Amino acid sequence: MATYIKIYDLCGANCIAAKHATKLYEQIYPLLKAGKEVELDFTGTYRFLSIFFNIAIGQLFGDIPADQIERSLKFTNLDDLGQRVYQHVKESAKLYYGDENYRKAVDSVNAEELLAYA
Amino acid sequence: MTLSCKALKKITLNIPTINDSHNDFINLFKLLAQIEKCENTEIIFDFSECKFLRQNAVAFLGGLAKLINHRGGKAKFSWHTMQDKIHKNLEQNSFVFEFSGFADGWVGNCIPYRQDLCNDIDDRVVEVMNYLDDQWLGRGWIDIEPHAKNEVIQTVLELYRNAFDYSRSEIGIFTCGQHYPAIHQLKLSIIDFGVGIPHNIRLHLQKEDMLAEKALRWAFQGGNTTRQGSGGYGLNMATLKSFVKEKKGKIDIYSHEGQISIDPWGEIHQNSSTFFKGTMINISLQCI
Repeated sequence: MATYIKIYDLCGANCIAAKHATKLYEQIYPLLKAGKEVELDFTGTYRFLSIFFNIAIGQLFGDIPADQIERSLKFTNLDDLGQRVYQHVKESAKLYYGDENYRKAVDSVNAEELLAYA
Repeated sequence: MTLSCKALKKITLNIPTINDSHNDFINLFKLLAQIEKCENTEIIFDFSECKFLRQNAVAFLGGLAKLINHRGGKAKFSWHTMQDKIHKNLEQNSFVFEFSGFADGWVGNCIPYRQDLCNDIDDRVVEVMNYLDDQWLGRGWIDIEPHAKNEVIQTVLELYRNAFDYSRSEIGIFTCGQHYPAIHQLKLSIIDFGVGIPHNIRLHLQKEDMLAEKALRWAFQGGNTTRQGSGGYGLNMATLKSFVKEKKGKIDIYSHEGQISIDPWGEIHQNSSTFFKGTMINISLQCI
């Protein structure tokens, strides 16, 4: 039986904060890693930033095979807008974790960012 | 627009009339160029020659003043040199309050001036979202379905999120807007004084000599990303572009020498003659 997570209870109507995404990632990563199923219910949410899906789900693709994520992670009541943002993030995540050269290029921007604030 | 140096390291920056044509943006960037090398200097903003300031100038001058102060100088607005109508407008949008501590703003046709530091980003994004919801598209100035409003605000919020995360603007992000009922236009300007989008794109693509306009074109193409892990520069602008076109409006984006202009008649990508290290985004919508 899938573990049920109601996204509204985590972040309210707006899926836009990195801190909420991190909490969600910390909840779902060990479950998926253990081969369990997870259902994310987006009822009541209506605004989505890519960073939310990026942190919560995108980084899963770095450690868990894409087909397992697709099979074990269920989305319910995610509206069109949310689905579009998620699809964009998912494709980018697959590219990022599947292509070493691409990953190096992306990381170079982020490394400079980190250095700037070190 | 002239710069005159006086004793005691005081400099007067003469602010011209600023609208939002291409030349007006260039004039704004020239103001920044004039003070680039003036450290530990009192810079007096003189408005004697200024007959009009649009919201892009308000946001830009606010940022410029903060930049001067951040670099150890002192920005001083010569309020008495302003025409009354300009002063009233700057009172209304809270610019005067921000820089003088008196004269609270009031609700009128302005979308208040605001500045957001690039820290506590999650909280800042929520504040900006509420601002866009309430002050920009929530005042009844523009006819928009709730779903479309949601989508447009989400797109603009991605622009902010990327600026917060990647601009490295030490003084933050500056915003101001205005409803112009006489010409039925609603305008919003968003500016950061960071490294500029072309810088990050060149680094990402490992193309140091990439033209700024090509870098901007890449950044604002759906699906491209420099965000670690995935996600995006996130700048899938399709929604905002189609909305602006539907509303017979315009988006202007300037960063480094690059410029993009999008209106119902097409898109222009070009390199301009003046360099602006940060990023300026100007969104104009036709209300009727």
